[in-house]
Amino acid sequence: MLKRIPHPNACVRAIRSRKILAALLPGLMLSAAPALAYEQAPMLDERVESGDLPPVDERLPKNPLVVEPYESIGKYGGVWRSGLRGGNDNGWIARTVGYEGLVRYDREWKKVIPNIAESWEVNDDATEYTFELREGLKWSDGHPFTSEDVAFTVEMFKNPEYPANTWIDAQSNPTSVEVIDDTTFKLVYDKPNGMLMDQLADINGTMIVTIPKHYCSQFNPDYNADANEMAKEEGFQNWTFLMQDKCAWGWETERWTNPDLPTIGAWIVKEPLSGDAARVVWERNPYYFKVDPEGNQLPYIDRLNMRVSESAEELTLMALNGEIDWQDRHINTNANQAVFYDGQEKGGYHLGKEVRATSSTLVFQLNLNHDDPAMRELFQNKDFRIGISHAIDRQEIIDVVFIGQGEPFQVAPRPQSQFYDEKLAKQYTEFDPERAVEHLEAAGLTETNADGVRLMEDGRPVRIVVDVIAALRPEWVDMLELIQLQLAQVGIEIEINNIDRTLFYDKRPGNDYDAQVWSGDGGLDVMQEPRYYFPANEESVWAYKWQAWYTGANPDIAEEPADWAKKQMALYDELKSEGDPDRRAELMKEILTITKENFPVIGVSLMPDGYYIAQNNLKNVAPTMIDAWLFPQPGAYDPAQWYFE
Amino acid sequence: MLRFLTTRLISMVLTIWAVSFVAFAIIQLPPGDYLTAYMARIAAEGERVTAAEMEAMRQQYGLGDPFLIQYWKWISGIFGSGDFGQSFEWKRPVTSLIWGRLGNSILLEGLAVLVMWLVALPIGVYAAVRKYSLGDYLATVFGFLGLAVPNFLFALVLMYLSYVWFGTTLGGLFSQEFERAHWSLPRIWDFFSHAWAPIIVLATAGTAQLIRIMRANLLDELKKPYVTTARAKGLPEWKVIVKYPVRVALNPLVSTIGWLLPTLVSSSVIVSVVMSLPTAGPLLLRSLTSQDMYLAGAIIMLLGVLTVVGTLISDLILAWIDPRIRHGGGR
Repeated sequence: MLKRIPHPNACVRAIRSRKILAALLPGLMLSAAPALAYEQAPMLDERVESGDLPPVDERLPKNPLVVEPYESIGKYGGVWRSGLRGGNDNGWIARTVGYEGLVRYDREWKKVIPNIAESWEVNDDATEYTFELREGLKWSDGHPFTSEDVAFTVEMFKNPEYPANTWIDAQSNPTSVEVIDDTTFKLVYDKPNGMLMDQLADINGTMIVTIPKHYCSQFNPDYNADANEMAKEEGFQNWTFLMQDKCAWGWETERWTNPDLPTIGAWIVKEPLSGDAARVVWERNPYYFKVDPEGNQLPYIDRLNMRVSESAEELTLMALNGEIDWQDRHINTNANQAVFYDGQEKGGYHLGKEVRATSSTLVFQLNLNHDDPAMRELFQNKDFRIGISHAIDRQEIIDVVFIGQGEPFQVAPRPQSQFYDEKLAKQYTEFDPERAVEHLEAAGLTETNADGVRLMEDGRPVRIVVDVIAALRPEWVDMLELIQLQLAQVGIEIEINNIDRTLFYDKRPGNDYDAQVWSGDGGLDVMQEPRYYFPANEESVWAYKWQAWYTGANPDIAEEPADWAKKQMALYDELKSEGDPDRRAELMKEILTITKENFPVIGVSLMPDGYYIAQNNLKNVAPTMIDAWLFPQPGAYDPAQWYFE
Repeated sequence: MLRFLTTRLISMVLTIWAVSFVAFAIIQLPPGDYLTAYMARIAAEGERVTAAEMEAMRQQYGLGDPFLIQYWKWISGIFGSGDFGQSFEWKRPVTSLIWGRLGNSILLEGLAVLVMWLVALPIGVYAAVRKYSLGDYLATVFGFLGLAVPNFLFALVLMYLSYVWFGTTLGGLFSQEFERAHWSLPRIWDFFSHAWAPIIVLATAGTAQLIRIMRANLLDELKKPYVTTARAKGLPEWKVIVKYPVRVALNPLVSTIGWLLPTLVSSSVIVSVVMSLPTAGPLLLRSLTSQDMYLAGAIIMLLGVLTVVGTLISDLILAWIDPRIRHGGGR
């Protein structure tokens, strides 16, 4: 049986009362569904009149995606001003204009909904996904967007010369494409791939729809025999470099350094990102495939202007001065919040709320695979970890470092998540030194030396070196300094080792660390990012050798995991191949139950809410957003329907 | 003179080669490579890179090669075809990235040097001639203030005051509409309306030092008999001072011209970051933190070349302004 997922545009939606448009277009009545006449932005009128562009009806697909505005139908025009940090800030561009995949998430991050594809079907064992593209869909240069573009992309990613290695050509279960016709294609897998729709809907899903065959095939030697010579002439070693430079995929930086690369997104880059660019300018894509319920082609906003600044201070001042229309990245630090709050009236902006997808502000990851047998035994002892957890005075940290924002929290799904489990989130979070000592003694740490530091069985004091990158999040060091004092009270000595991020990563394969800290990814994206719930990927530093055994990426250091972790891995494998979302959720809950029993990593407090700043005349902006990477704000909240009043 | 030039040129090439080797070696010293830095950056974003992807990139970039082979590939490309290699972070040839930035650096820092000299030399002369006068003390106080206030702090204060008082944000070298335009009168005006702030910030730090050097040098010279002779012959006072002792006192300043540019580039990195100036400094800083080694190597090497060329130029100027060097040199 095939599961048919209907797309919301199949039936024309009820059209709201519309005074302005009705006055302008008296003839336009909406009795029959296909009679919806489309409107375009005034800035395109001239180009259509001169014959430079076809009329809007011909530019839009037969069945454009109708985007429900947040508050009201908007009006055309305006420039959205924001800021990039450094010349290489592809993250901001990906978040604002880059989130455009085959499918997307709804604004609650709950359900996968159509985007470029208007519908899809999944077979029972989740090995074949059939997608239906919108008929008449076009790239920003007017060239049709067809199944061939997807097939070209997948084929290139699987070319061994081309260094992609993304989910598309994942060794464990690579993607194949079967083109049925111009608008229909199948993604086919050898093994079941139950997570595919989530993968396609998150930011990484954009990879498969960002490479136009008609433009990019000229750089591929399979299509153009001179491709390698062409690359050499341009100063590149071989075609793969030139291809990456001209046709980078997804959210790679170079994707926005080439203004000739056609796109499917709402805005086209006009002044591209480059080594010495001081701004990046974007202009509306006249072929964008979305409309509002009244048939006005989106986006409403004509242009984007991103200041390229090396300086977070400059961006902060620009925002205070009302020179930024919407921004969160780079400027929404804890330290700036009071300044921005006070400056609202003068700057003509207001603050909006952002719920962070991360769970704990800090994840204390003891190396359960330590090379030193005594340390390993100690770290693997659950009593030891519980003892440490009880010895941390979380409220003190919250009060001192986070000005009272947040609550004691382990590394667990956030309260907003369907996987929230109060016990998992709150167990062992009470500050209780006596209980801490009981557990530490149960872990065999009964003796202390003259300095009051507990001794391991072989007589060495318990001394844990904790690696941290202060440059990334200065508050980590503040927190660790408090934790250091608190743990000293129960006879555990930690040394804070502030190092550069490259060293931080370099130490992992060599297993050369006692403990590392990071923040709690996977608070809302529980299923997609389970690194702290079981040894799932390279970021599971607390069990790096176990994850190597699971992923198979680095067999030299792999080590057979404990039974409970192996059980979780088997459950996750099952989850990945399961097509039914409810069953997947059940499996994830089973994994989390095992996490709860084994308590592998220690959390501190729930990540407090962040904020964004928005000019007061910018409308249709969601008042609360989720701050995540896989579900990238503000792109996931449809900036194409934002407008200036 | 010809022999002098030839030997200097030969030693220049050897120095530059040595600089390139040392620069390349130092860049490789920190643990990890571009890919670990890249992985860390991506992870901070909430994303992660698979080991397979890393391995593919490592092969594509040739990062697995031993040090000497990497160095040979790099240096033979530079001397063979002017190819400075690929920037990993930008995935494009280094040469396409650095020239514009380096040009901005030379322009901006050249102007800062000019302002520094224009301000410091007259003050230095005045301070020496009117030793222990009120003006001397004032110049000393302000000079030392300029020296003592950290550049970046001064820049931040200027930016904040400009926001509070004038409601404008200082930053960059051009307004956005002039960024990509060709040079024209309005663009020059626009440039100066932006550049004054960084020029002041960069110039203040060096001014004090220059004033002190000039003052001390000149004080030594003023006591010498030839000055007394010139006065005795009835030359006007300003001519006595400007024509002879000032010229001699300039010697130590001129001989350090060669070091000015690298000093300014390295000392202006933080100011450039704070004020968002499109100069070489921030590019160098970024490439070092991300271990983008060919880009960093190219910038360091070019700074080395500039230093060496600058030293040569300063030697030539020295020979020109000081006849004792021109005629007395044993070469």
